[in-house]
Amino acid sequence: MASPMRRAELVKWVATTVMPHEPSVRAWLRRRRVPKDEIDELIQEGYCRLAGVETPDAIINPGAFFLTTVRNLLSKQRARSQVVQIDIVPDVTEIAGADLAPDPELMTGDRVEFDRVRAVIATLPERCRQVLELRKLEGLSQREVAERMGIAETIVENEGARALRLLIEGLRTQGDNIARDYEERRSRGRRT
Amino acid sequence: MSDADGMTIEEQAALWVMRIDREGRSAVINLEIEEWIGDDDRKRGALLQAEAAWAMLDVGLAEPVDDAASGDDGAADWDDRELELPRPLWRRRAFGAGAMGLLAASFAFAVFLGGGSPEQYETRIGEVRRVPLADGSIAAINTSSRLDVTMRERSRIAKLEAGEAWFQVAKDPERPFIVEAGAVRVRAVGTAFSVRVVGDGAEVLVTEGIVEAWSEVAGGQRIRLRAGERAFVAGNAEVRTEQPGGGEVDRALAWRSGKLDLAGETLTYAIEELNRYNARKIVLQNPEYGQERLYGIFRTDDPELFARTVGESFELRVDIEANQIILSRR
Repeated sequence: MASPMRRAELVKWVATTVMPHEPSVRAWLRRRRVPKDEIDELIQEGYCRLAGVETPDAIINPGAFFLTTVRNLLSKQRARSQVVQIDIVPDVTEIAGADLAPDPELMTGDRVEFDRVRAVIATLPERCRQVLELRKLEGLSQREVAERMGIAETIVENEGARALRLLIEGLRTQGDNIARDYEERRSRGRRT
Repeated sequence: MSDADGMTIEEQAALWVMRIDREGRSAVINLEIEEWIGDDDRKRGALLQAEAAWAMLDVGLAEPVDDAASGDDGAADWDDRELELPRPLWRRRAFGAGAMGLLAASFAFAVFLGGGSPEQYETRIGEVRRVPLADGSIAAINTSSRLDVTMRERSRIAKLEAGEAWFQVAKDPERPFIVEAGAVRVRAVGTAFSVRVVGDGAEVLVTEGIVEAWSEVAGGQRIRLRAGERAFVAGNAEVRTEQPGGGEVDRALAWRSGKLDLAGETLTYAIEELNRYNARKIVLQNPEYGQERLYGIFRTDDPELFARTVGESFELRVDIEANQIILSRR
């Protein structure tokens, strides 16, 4: 296990440079008709690989790196299962194309990221949101949040964990929407 | 917290993050986490994802500073910042503009008027030089290249003996700017393009305006290339033209800022390219990995970082030796 300092750096690196690309990686997997639960699995395994990255600074384009990692996991999985799904075959040939590069239009900046996170936070249940804002915006510790809200610390913990899951879920849903949007633009582009 | 029944991996990961948030990542908590993870890659991934989402809230709740508002319109500091912190793709366009800004800046220092004798430029392996030419043009000379430039009254001749160079040609309709690479000629008036010697021919890439290219060998056709187009003119006058997709030409010229920009090129290609810039060569021991595709921008002057990244990505063993770097199956 890396030292706490390096771990913190890695986490920050993932948060700021990799997570914004998760939607486009998911979109890429969807285009390859990978079932949803398998996508979740691949993405998690992809993050696992990132956890092993010792020199994030060497990776100048983390989004593309993440995509490559997930793509490799997918092809390995396909090879393992020995079952060639008929609808996957034409897409495998596509791997040779530059089509795999994440669409720059899907790439997001700080501003977009800020708006996306804000939008999800706004949809959180009241107590969840309050815990999150006191902890993250006002910088109170979990204990202080508990005191301020007059609730037990374990509730703060549970509400925080719930907020975190809803946030990931919400960002995922947004990502799916972006992906669908992209899909549409892409098919329009093909027709013309 | 052990593997609680009925809780998903994500729920468990979120609870771990709350605990890390409370107690910090102590040695004790790390041990417990490792115990929880066991050899389940998904748990390790879910935890990093949850931690990153938690960290993202710091970004999400604190209003970001607009680049424009922070007065970040200068170009000069882009290079360093790009190297300091990996940024997502969206920054790249801005970076490109920055590089052009740098060029414009050195343009201002260009000396006017030139004599008749050639200026000679030679770059060592790994060296990329940007030189102002006597007529106000700029040449960016890539690794292991040789360029002789002669300014004449009626013409400007840049003879590329070896390697690759990119030219930002100062406008002068009276004096065409001609690059000679073997038998291949590329002519421009005021435009920007690159020429790379390949075998007895040359590859031409146009970044701005229009150029004309041909081979001196009898019967060679003249072709006109526009911005964004690429052509290979063989020594025997055969011509292949390509209209690559958007950004392709810029990618191919990333060497001007010491980068190799890959969007699906093979590992074999990437290694060949990187080896152009470094005396310490990367060797791929198992050729079956040669067709793996790579994405990302890498520094051309750091083969070690490149090899480690590739090693991590394709699970290859990386042996760093004094005069070579070996990639092999684990």
